[in-house]
Amino acid sequence: MIGYLPGRSSLHRAHPYTPLAVAAGLLFLAFAFRSPAAVWAVVVAAAAFAAAGGVLGAVLRPAAMLALPTWILLTVLHGLLGGPPHLALGPLALSAPGVERALVFGGRIAAILFAFLTALATVAPPRLVEAMTARGVPFGRIYLLVSTLTVVPRMRARVRQIIDAQQCRGLRIGGSPLARVRALGPLVVPLVLSALAEVDEQALALDVRGGSAAGRRTALAPPADHAGDRLVRWTVLVGVVAAYAWKFAGAGR
Amino acid sequence: MTALVTLERVGFRYPGSARPALRDVSVTIDAGTVTGVTGLVGSGASTLLLVAGGFAPRLTGGALTGTRHLATERVGIVFATPWTQLTGLASTVLGEVAFGPASLGRPREAVLAAAERALRDLGVAHLAERDPATLSGGELQRVVVASVLAMAPDLLVLDDPAAELDPAGADGLYALLPSVAARGAAVLVATPDTERLARVADRVLALEDGRLVRAGPATAVLDDTDVARIARAAGCPAPLPLDVAAALGRIAR
Amino acid sequence: MTLRDLVVIRLGVAVNLVIGQVAAALLLPVFLDTIGTVLVAALVGPRAAIVAGLTSQVLNAVLSGNFTWLPFGLVQIVIALYAALAARLGAFRRLSTAIPAGLLLGLVAASASAPISYFLFGGVTAGGVTAVTTVIRALGAPLPVAVAAASYSTDLLDKSLVFALVAVVLRSLPHQMAVRFPMLAR
Repeated sequence: MIGYLPGRSSLHRAHPYTPLAVAAGLLFLAFAFRSPAAVWAVVVAAAAFAAAGGVLGAVLRPAAMLALPTWILLTVLHGLLGGPPHLALGPLALSAPGVERALVFGGRIAAILFAFLTALATVAPPRLVEAMTARGVPFGRIYLLVSTLTVVPRMRARVRQIIDAQQCRGLRIGGSPLARVRALGPLVVPLVLSALAEVDEQALALDVRGGSAAGRRTALAPPADHAGDRLVRWTVLVGVVAAYAWKFAGAGR
Repeated sequence: MTALVTLERVGFRYPGSARPALRDVSVTIDAGTVTGVTGLVGSGASTLLLVAGGFAPRLTGGALTGTRHLATERVGIVFATPWTQLTGLASTVLGEVAFGPASLGRPREAVLAAAERALRDLGVAHLAERDPATLSGGELQRVVVASVLAMAPDLLVLDDPAAELDPAGADGLYALLPSVAARGAAVLVATPDTERLARVADRVLALEDGRLVRAGPATAVLDDTDVARIARAAGCPAPLPLDVAAALGRIAR
Repeated sequence: MTLRDLVVIRLGVAVNLVIGQVAAALLLPVFLDTIGTVLVAALVGPRAAIVAGLTSQVLNAVLSGNFTWLPFGLVQIVIALYAALAARLGAFRRLSTAIPAGLLLGLVAASASAPISYFLFGGVTAGGVTAVTTVIRALGAPLPVAVAAASYSTDLLDKSLVFALVAVVLRSLPHQMAVRFPMLAR
């Protein structure tokens, strides 16, 4: 399941910035290490993160589905087609450095997916909006990140309407590749033009509701930022900096 | 009565347009009144709303000639389509309505009080915890009006606000306008719905090709509603009844 | 950045996120998911286009769950800047200039994304591009070449279609709408 999953875990109750910071930290850590053991330790940490949010089971399936095709390709690309020396595994000759590369890259993907799917599952969008407003994040940024997602379902519905309407007018959806490319115009142009036609009204409506207001907006239900939250975020930052310092000092392998 | 908006020989031309949308319009809008604007498409009714409310040329571009005095900056505007007027940032109706006052940086209690009061006034307090995306067109338009009223505007401008509402919803919306005016605001509403306008407007402005051709009480200006035409054909003396209720009242006497 | 610019950027991001639906309905093997960014570049300008591109990257990851696309934000910036420059030079005025400009962007964008794919993910991101990479590698080409070749071929088609579509959209803009975008006059 991709998306927010309501719950009462420590991650759900934390300040919304905290799970996001941990996910970002795990992303950076995944790229800091080059040995399969270290990278998969990060994967385990990401899985523990998911467990802390009570979403490990829920996140496992989408993560696996997103990662599996990539893992298969990695195995083929690096494991089978990599350079010497080779290990014999039954009838297959796997490249040793190739397998190592595949494990590292595969682990990175797994860590990133676990980390961010967990953050997505434990951070409720309205709480995030409140947290950003309370911190004084400019309205424009919040608007783009949150308001766009609410516009997407309407736009998808309009795409279906346009496809139906144009088909009634004789547009063919199938056929030769060239015909299909030609069909792009009559589908894309009406979508964009109808959206552009609403721009003035939307801008006016926002302006009237104070969208242009320069001052600090009132947050109605700002999430509490406990000492524990701040400690976790600082620890993540320190950990990432330390890992990269270690990597660039040459001690990392 | 205080004049809220004074237009003296005002003309307006949209950017890139050869034809002026408004020509030589002189009118005064007083606080505490409901003023209707009628005219065919292209007559300049919508433009008059934007100019009177101070939205043109500020947000539309274009050139304004003549003199305009707008005694207040607190202007609200409502358009016909509810969906495009949502901020998209709120997951509850209460949050959507509170967005306006919150943008002004008022304290939290004041913001919530204003929002709750607006919801009650519009008869949609029971929808406070609902997700705006799940509301019907009529309910949503009421929420939009509540969102604008929550900012306590001195001038409320409405452009065909009931266009997408069913008859009951439209009746309800127009019935609100006199109570908004009774609280001291000025209401300016443009619509082709002359019957409903006749019930609530103190004064009506009729536009044709950008010029103000008639101005006066509803009974004098709006004599082309279906009911009025029937009454005139039946030989009814002036002032003609403009809507069904007035006609029934006249017959009863 | 005015409120109007924000609304246009939001439109561009929404189009980026939704346009895949159209390509899928037509069974075309392209993403077209930068069409909104290019449009914003032509209508508003480079800064707005960069914002549109980066926001699309983040929201795409949120919607699909595939957060491995996040590091490719750099490519979005390149695309935004290139598109703004192309608009400034009038590339969108005719299809005969738009399509070659799109082909060139395909080269540029693939050149930007191939190293990211190679160094961060071992040449693997997801989907069709990687399948092509694997085939080319299996034919004996060295990995960097395989990655590059796969990236380039898909990007050339995708970006030239994007530029052609944006040119058509701009040409179809009613005059009243077009004058509201000062960037178009240049």
